[in-house]
Amino acid sequence: MEYFYSYLILASIFVVLGLATNLLVGIAGIFSVSQAAIFGVGAYVTAYCLVNEVMGFLPAVACAAGACLLLNIVITLPALRVAGDYFVVTSFGIQLLATAAFLNWNGATGGASGMAAIPPADLFGYAIEDTGSMLLLCVAAMLLCCLAFYLAMNSPYGRLLRAIREDELAVAASGKPVIPAKAAAAALAGVFGGVAGSLYATFLSFIDPSSFDLNASVLLLSMVVVGGARTLAGSIIGPFVLLALPQVLTMVEIPSTMAAGVRQGLYGALLIAFMLFRPQGLAGQKL
Amino acid sequence: MLLLQLLVNGLVTGCALGVVAFSFSLVYSTTKIFHVAHAGVYTLAGYLAWSLARAGMPDIVGLIVVPVVCAGFGVVIQRLLYDPLAQRRATHLVVLIASLGLLAIVQNAIAVLWSPDILHFDSTWRVQTIKLVGVTLNYAQIATVVVSVALYGATLFATRHTGIGKRIRAVASNPFLAELTRLHPRRTYAMVMALASALVAVPGMLVGFDLGLQPYTGTTVLLTGTVAVIAGGVGSLTGAFLVSIVVTVLQNLSLLVMPGQWSVGITFLIFVAFMLVRPRGLFAAA
Repeated sequence: MEYFYSYLILASIFVVLGLATNLLVGIAGIFSVSQAAIFGVGAYVTAYCLVNEVMGFLPAVACAAGACLLLNIVITLPALRVAGDYFVVTSFGIQLLATAAFLNWNGATGGASGMAAIPPADLFGYAIEDTGSMLLLCVAAMLLCCLAFYLAMNSPYGRLLRAIREDELAVAASGKPVIPAKAAAAALAGVFGGVAGSLYATFLSFIDPSSFDLNASVLLLSMVVVGGARTLAGSIIGPFVLLALPQVLTMVEIPSTMAAGVRQGLYGALLIAFMLFRPQGLAGQKL
Repeated sequence: MLLLQLLVNGLVTGCALGVVAFSFSLVYSTTKIFHVAHAGVYTLAGYLAWSLARAGMPDIVGLIVVPVVCAGFGVVIQRLLYDPLAQRRATHLVVLIASLGLLAIVQNAIAVLWSPDILHFDSTWRVQTIKLVGVTLNYAQIATVVVSVALYGATLFATRHTGIGKRIRAVASNPFLAELTRLHPRRTYAMVMALASALVAVPGMLVGFDLGLQPYTGTTVLLTGTVAVIAGGVGSLTGAFLVSIVVTVLQNLSLLVMPGQWSVGITFLIFVAFMLVRPRGLFAAA
């Protein structure tokens, strides 16, 4: 049961991240392989605040969300100016830069060995120590984020974002604020990333750079692609399916040294298979 | 003499990176595909050469055989992945995600089939060193410089003065017109992929001789290469090659003032800042 709970917790955290990636890549059409970096910043900020007892859990989450919001706007800024492939390189570059920072900024991040003994989350003085109440917290956070995503996408703002992806020039010509709209999408995605990072750090109570590297960004992208881009349902299905995959793999006999490679390779194969045969994913719209 | 040694080291790495950069540029300017999986071909080449060496072949056999194998791999990628996607009129984003997927498959297959840890070649020629005016170089580094510069010269000559090169440039500049004049863009794309994959195999092996092989380092190499491609102006082989050398020389010189693990991060930081200020690159036309 404990095991199943932790699967559900991780899946709901990744749903929040999937929403962020979907918002940028699927809806606004801003290619990003640096969302794992944002996720990592959220996790590290929270861990730093809690381990050093700077503040409580909720203010730490707010800090993480705020930091990620600002950071995501800053790293998406190039996308507002340069189109297409130049931003792809920038996005990859930011991911590599973040990994370098997580690995080498020993004073703040603990370097390659990561940060351990992160205290559990607490809400209004009530410590959330057992898995059951952590699950409640994560599911609540997930539902809240899904609601925010749903409301934003069904508002005039959501239509504006979609219109920008279809034809940016036409939107600009009709006097709509293109750049603020894109920046707002990045901000919202940043908040999602920060919140997810906070939950992740407090749930595992241990973080290290390997959870926030390029492979993690590819995993996030796979989740959105497999679940289906541009829809709420897609962002929810993707993480639940892809996180179940390692559990299925444990039933096949492979040496533990190979497990990570096989899993990552399989995510890659899924990406290709979906792009070739079903670009809209399980429950999405055409990418 | 440390300064001179760093300068030369940067030059050696830059030559290898330059081949990665201009072969990527060849694919990118012709097919317009952001071929991330190029890093996979680069990595695979080193491991294939390693296995040949383990099977008792001298390293030179690998240097000749592996590019041919990689050329075949390039054609397979084009025929089985990029062509079907193009026929489906897949968007740029879809092709990019597929390429990223292929990269993940190749890198992880290497980690599973060979080893996730660093592998070194057994041969001894590559570690023998010579000293020139206070600078120590091993034979693998010398081979890297000589072969890379030769490849650069040959490719430059080929694209300018041979039929195939002209055909590639024609398709790159206007695929629609090329189709009308029966230049067969799709066949040309396959040719470009073969050529670029064979080219990128060579630095994949040479760097492996010098520093050993790791499954996941190719991504950073390719991205540094793409930085050079963009900063040097897309489509310019010379720009890509020269900027690659400048970037790695600067990275090596930066060791004088800060620890090495930051240099890649700083490169991209500068690039991001550069993109904010001059989004079109240094030499590209406005």
